[in-house]
Amino acid sequence: MRQVDSINGQDIREMFAAATDWLEKSVSDIDALNVFPVPDGDCGTNMLLTMRSSIEDAYRAPDRSASAVTQAMANGALMGARGNSGVILSQIWRGLAQGLAGKDSFTGSDLADALLQASMTAYKGLSNPVEGTILTVVREAASAAQTQAASGNNDLISIMEAIVSAANESVANTPSLLPVLREAGVVDAGGQGLYTILEGALHYLKGDVEKMQFRKPRIIASSIPLVARLPQMVAADEVPYGYCTEFLLKGQGLNPDKLMLSLKRKGQSLIVVGDESTVRVHIHTLDPGNVIHYVTSLGTMHQVSIRNMDEQHQDFLEMQKERAPAIEIATVAVVSGDGLSDVFTSLGAAAIVPGGQTMNPSTKDLLQAVESVVSDKVIILPNNKNIVLTAEQVHSLTTKSIEVVPTETIPQGIAALLAFDYEADFETNAKIMRKAKSAVKSIEVTRAVRSTQLNGLKIKKKQAIGFLDGKLVAVGDNANDVLNEALAKLNLDEVEVITIYYGADTKPAETEQISVSIGQQHPQLQIEVVRGGQPHYNYIVSVE
Amino acid sequence: MAVKVVTDSLSDITSDIAQGLGITVVPLTVSFGRESFLDRITLTTDEFYYRLAHDANWPITTQPSPGDFVNVFNKLAQETDEILVITLSTKLSGTYQSALQAKSLVEKECRIEVIDSLTVAMGLGLIVIAAAKAAQAGANLDEVADLVRRAIPRSHLIAYFDTLKYLAKGGRIGKAQGLLGAMLSVKPILTVKDGEMSPLTRVRSRAAGMDYLYTSAASFSHIEELAVEHATTLDDADRLVERLSSLFPKERIYRSTVSPVVGTYAGPGVLSVSLLEAQGK
Repeated sequence: MRQVDSINGQDIREMFAAATDWLEKSVSDIDALNVFPVPDGDCGTNMLLTMRSSIEDAYRAPDRSASAVTQAMANGALMGARGNSGVILSQIWRGLAQGLAGKDSFTGSDLADALLQASMTAYKGLSNPVEGTILTVVREAASAAQTQAASGNNDLISIMEAIVSAANESVANTPSLLPVLREAGVVDAGGQGLYTILEGALHYLKGDVEKMQFRKPRIIASSIPLVARLPQMVAADEVPYGYCTEFLLKGQGLNPDKLMLSLKRKGQSLIVVGDESTVRVHIHTLDPGNVIHYVTSLGTMHQVSIRNMDEQHQDFLEMQKERAPAIEIATVAVVSGDGLSDVFTSLGAAAIVPGGQTMNPSTKDLLQAVESVVSDKVIILPNNKNIVLTAEQVHSLTTKSIEVVPTETIPQGIAALLAFDYEADFETNAKIMRKAKSAVKSIEVTRAVRSTQLNGLKIKKKQAIGFLDGKLVAVGDNANDVLNEALAKLNLDEVEVITIYYGADTKPAETEQISVSIGQQHPQLQIEVVRGGQPHYNYIVSVE
Repeated sequence: MAVKVVTDSLSDITSDIAQGLGITVVPLTVSFGRESFLDRITLTTDEFYYRLAHDANWPITTQPSPGDFVNVFNKLAQETDEILVITLSTKLSGTYQSALQAKSLVEKECRIEVIDSLTVAMGLGLIVIAAAKAAQAGANLDEVADLVRRAIPRSHLIAYFDTLKYLAKGGRIGKAQGLLGAMLSVKPILTVKDGEMSPLTRVRSRAAGMDYLYTSAASFSHIEELAVEHATTLDDADRLVERLSSLFPKERIYRSTVSPVVGTYAGPGVLSVSLLEAQGK
């Protein structure tokens, strides 16, 4: 096996130049990992540019001693440091240079000591060191180097191998230290970058420079698999998870296949591996006692571990909850139509109760929605005159604080929801939302269910009728004409935005047609057409 | 020897103000592809927005290196032995770290204090201006640093955005994440809270946004300093200043544009009001 006892400054320069080339090959992969501290996707690029600046200066070192070259590298890194990871990298080089100060060449144990210095310098340089980053990687790599050096086998390659292997493990472990990585299912980008540099240096030491040309650095996989977010609430009657039971069974003439068959009926996620004398078992069971009772008749149990998975799951849910943005005030809205429901949800409504003109929800429906949201302070938007009173009943049925903003139309509800002020308290928000609802005019166009006379207008069954803020203002055979007539009752010169939500039975093309014609007559208007998907109403229009 | 005040280019203070008050501004860098520019120095706001609209590359920004700060410190140390650095929020950039690292590398004996302003743009600019005025009036480093720390919670930035696309793409959306994905076209109003971008509310139109900016400023009873910034819409900013002149003397309202680096995250059309609330209120 190749051995290197010590290297001088020129070697270091070549070694890190090779490592920089190695890093360059995975720059875009590292950029893609970048989620911390800000997910701006430039970590790999920044580290590469910092390394380049470092190597450039290394070639300008006054002499070829290890001390002079690492000092020049540190200086180059410092002057050319880009981004957060670049700055930390420059600190690492600075520590390394301090550790090698005065040395012409260095040995494996010198490197181990210098890396320890590098790790300490990197930590010291930061006001708020965060674990699960490049910092953890350099610290754990330095610690592994110390252990290796102490073991006596301390030629440079052995030390470097210990460093790279520890860095690898450390990078894989970053997601368990930094929640934002765990959530994104990636390892820390800066840590990965440092690992790649160290790995490149090791390849150089081993004389693998030729091989490096045809290979590419590997991105380390997270030690924790990416878990999809589970829903926040688990119903009480859900199947329990039981106990994760693991042990080693030792005995004579054990039969893993037979054991597997017998245990299969006792639980799930069963794993049985081993031979006649030793078998490892992993099972999720509701009754670990039953499993233990059975296997102790076959042999002796070792390394027994029984963990309550409901508890684990609960911890997991708690963790998810902590991470979910804290919504202090929740809004519950009564809406019908899938498009409109999406609009309300996208604007931050915490729960939607289906309902509207011909389908008024019960107090119980509203109460359930109020209880289902995590917040203790809930604002209800009834969005219909006939539902306001029902909503008011919820007050007396819950311990949560309730404010009903008596919105009578969908546009009023949307205007109220939009005006939500993230910095204001509960009562102030209710006030702001009440005010906002009155700033919008609502037009609704629907079909008459029977012939009648209203507001002096004669209406035949199935004719289109238009309401302005709940008052009948137009009748006609064509929904678009009725909408135009209703709009004509308003001074559109003072209006900024018109939003048209078209119903489930209305053709998008017809809506487009009327939107274009309004736009032609009033070019200053901002007109938006949105699929509301509401039943019965051809158009629900907000004018603000 | 008077305290020298140093800040970064994300303070958005104009070179006139910087010169007048003896403030040193360390630029961040914005790059389109292989071309790099020093924020506000080799690229103006107007040039930046022209590029943003026409360049095939998406702009990338970079904090100053510790070396950039070392150079500035070494130069200032010729004239003073007390330097105060006020940077933009550490939650938005690592500029603070660069300044901090540079501190220990200055050749001459010089006291250097680095403060994280927890804000950005003229929210930071107004704090820096207040610090520079105190330094000019003869306050020492401890006094100026104390003034800055007390000014930080009194600095408020309220910004109207045409879109959050740029903020989201640049990874700086912070707590305003929840405003993304609306199925209606809405214009977000944001502030900086605890050092990161945070939502205030949403409006449906630019006019409503300007109303909101005015009303927000009017809700403060005692304003010490006021600033209005724009990106591409000078006319709207002029109108806003006209309206604000009913609250605060027009000639004392600082006017500025967002720097190219700020513009990378704010996008075109952004308008903001920053104010320093008077002490004790």
